[in-house]
Amino acid sequence: MLVNLSASDLFSLKGKTVLLTGASGYLGRTFSRAVLENGARLIALGRSDRLGREVAEWQREFGRDQVTSYQIDMYDIEALGALLDTIVKGESSIDVLINNAHELGPNTGFNVEAGSFENASYDQWERHFLGGVYWPALTAQKLGPKMKAQKAGSIINISTMYALVAPSPALYEGTEMLNPPGYSASKAALLALTRYLASFWGRHGIRANAILPGPFSNVEDKSANSVSEDDPFLERLKSRTCLGRIGRPGELVGCLVYLASDASSYVTGQALSIDGGWTIT
Amino acid sequence: MNEKLRSLFDLTGRVAVITGGAGLLGRKHAEAIAGAGGIPVLVDIPAAEPVAAAAALEKEWETEVAGYEADITRPEQLEALKDELLTRFKRIDILVNNAANNPKMESGGGVSFSRLENFPLEIWNADLQVGLTGAFLCSKIFGAEMARRGSGVILNVASDLALVSPDQRLYREEGLPEDQQPVKPVTYSVVKTGLIGLTRYLATYWAQNGVRVNAISPGGVYASQPDEFVQRLEALIPLSRMADVDEYQGALLFLCSDASSYMTGTNLVIDGGRTCW
Repeated sequence: MLVNLSASDLFSLKGKTVLLTGASGYLGRTFSRAVLENGARLIALGRSDRLGREVAEWQREFGRDQVTSYQIDMYDIEALGALLDTIVKGESSIDVLINNAHELGPNTGFNVEAGSFENASYDQWERHFLGGVYWPALTAQKLGPKMKAQKAGSIINISTMYALVAPSPALYEGTEMLNPPGYSASKAALLALTRYLASFWGRHGIRANAILPGPFSNVEDKSANSVSEDDPFLERLKSRTCLGRIGRPGELVGCLVYLASDASSYVTGQALSIDGGWTIT
Repeated sequence: MNEKLRSLFDLTGRVAVITGGAGLLGRKHAEAIAGAGGIPVLVDIPAAEPVAAAAALEKEWETEVAGYEADITRPEQLEALKDELLTRFKRIDILVNNAANNPKMESGGGVSFSRLENFPLEIWNADLQVGLTGAFLCSKIFGAEMARRGSGVILNVASDLALVSPDQRLYREEGLPEDQQPVKPVTYSVVKTGLIGLTRYLATYWAQNGVRVNAISPGGVYASQPDEFVQRLEALIPLSRMADVDEYQGALLFLCSDASSYMTGTNLVIDGGRTCW
């Protein structure tokens, strides 16, 4: 075939360096593999001890030089700033920034009574706005000069469909599940930040977009925010979508690769919904 | 690229009907589909010579490209085309509703009929016939076949003007009196906005039948427009430029392939940021 337009070239991340936060979480692990499989070098930031084990595995599979990792508690803003300075200084280029980290647990009010709107504490709200807005803002601020100098960069902010629509109480009635207000509010704010960056940095060739995942419940692990396969809550989620099922992490990969690569060179300031049709009805 | 990701955007063997397929963007859509291993079917009116266009592209790309003459506002022609395609390929996997009447932006001397006060009912009807009725009929006839088979993708080509109103100052020509200034015709906004409604409607309608329906909303493409127009438009866009003609191919492959398997009813805006500020 003479047409050399194959998906392999158009969506390739070969030669690009990607910085990803929340790299060892449920979605972060899939994102890490996706960029590595597509030829990028990965700078992985994560909080849990799991990061080291995952990174060792990725290095075995994709090569030692392809992954650099830093275990960090991003709530330590001073340490985060210093780390980002160090990373920027040490890298010749950083082409893609994926802001994925967000704490989904009791500290942010997930699935605990203390997380309801009536009970939510200042500490929970602060954690949401640090994770949802300030971490993405700080990483973009630190990486920005490098991307400007390159005259290119793609910033991808992982938001949620709950930035567009509210969680419905009917989904949660009679379950242990609770979706706290700070999540929706901070992730909606992240969309405003996305547009702000797209607007102000477009002239520098830097694009900024968001991904709005729908129900991507973690049914693989046992963790603070996982759901078991037979949980009736899962049935409620499925029936709320048009496609009648929850998403698998792999189903975010196409969008992530599209936005990270030059295949989306004219896309900026956008939020892409991957929600099985949840938000269109 | 690794095999897993190659297969993510792969369209090997998939048959893709592209309306307005012999036009500038139609041929670019076809190129993307052919590049991913699919079989583009260019459907266009006889004057656009889709059969010759397909033959030329087939020769150039060394891959199968089909071309058929059809008036997409005529259901009987579309039914006949469907039968022909099912006989030839046994399947229809993708429909790209791309056809639209070219908006007439005439200017200079005489009455400007693009202006709303003068806009002829016949042109209104003709534009809606092609842009909306054509998309409805193609979806009805080809989409129903996909739903019957339990899988398929429909992609509607809308526009940034489905989200924002045309800024008529872009189209001004110095020296012309107000009532002769050219404007973007009303039908363009109406057709493109209507396609977004059609997208969402079809997405829920066929969700349980394995047919996903999405839209793209491209901004303007460089096509030898006057410098002054280009400069005015670029000032409205954060990326400070119009799009190159091949910059929509990534979106097309993303939304027509299994890479977007959990997306339906969405509108992917590819406008350099024009609508974000």
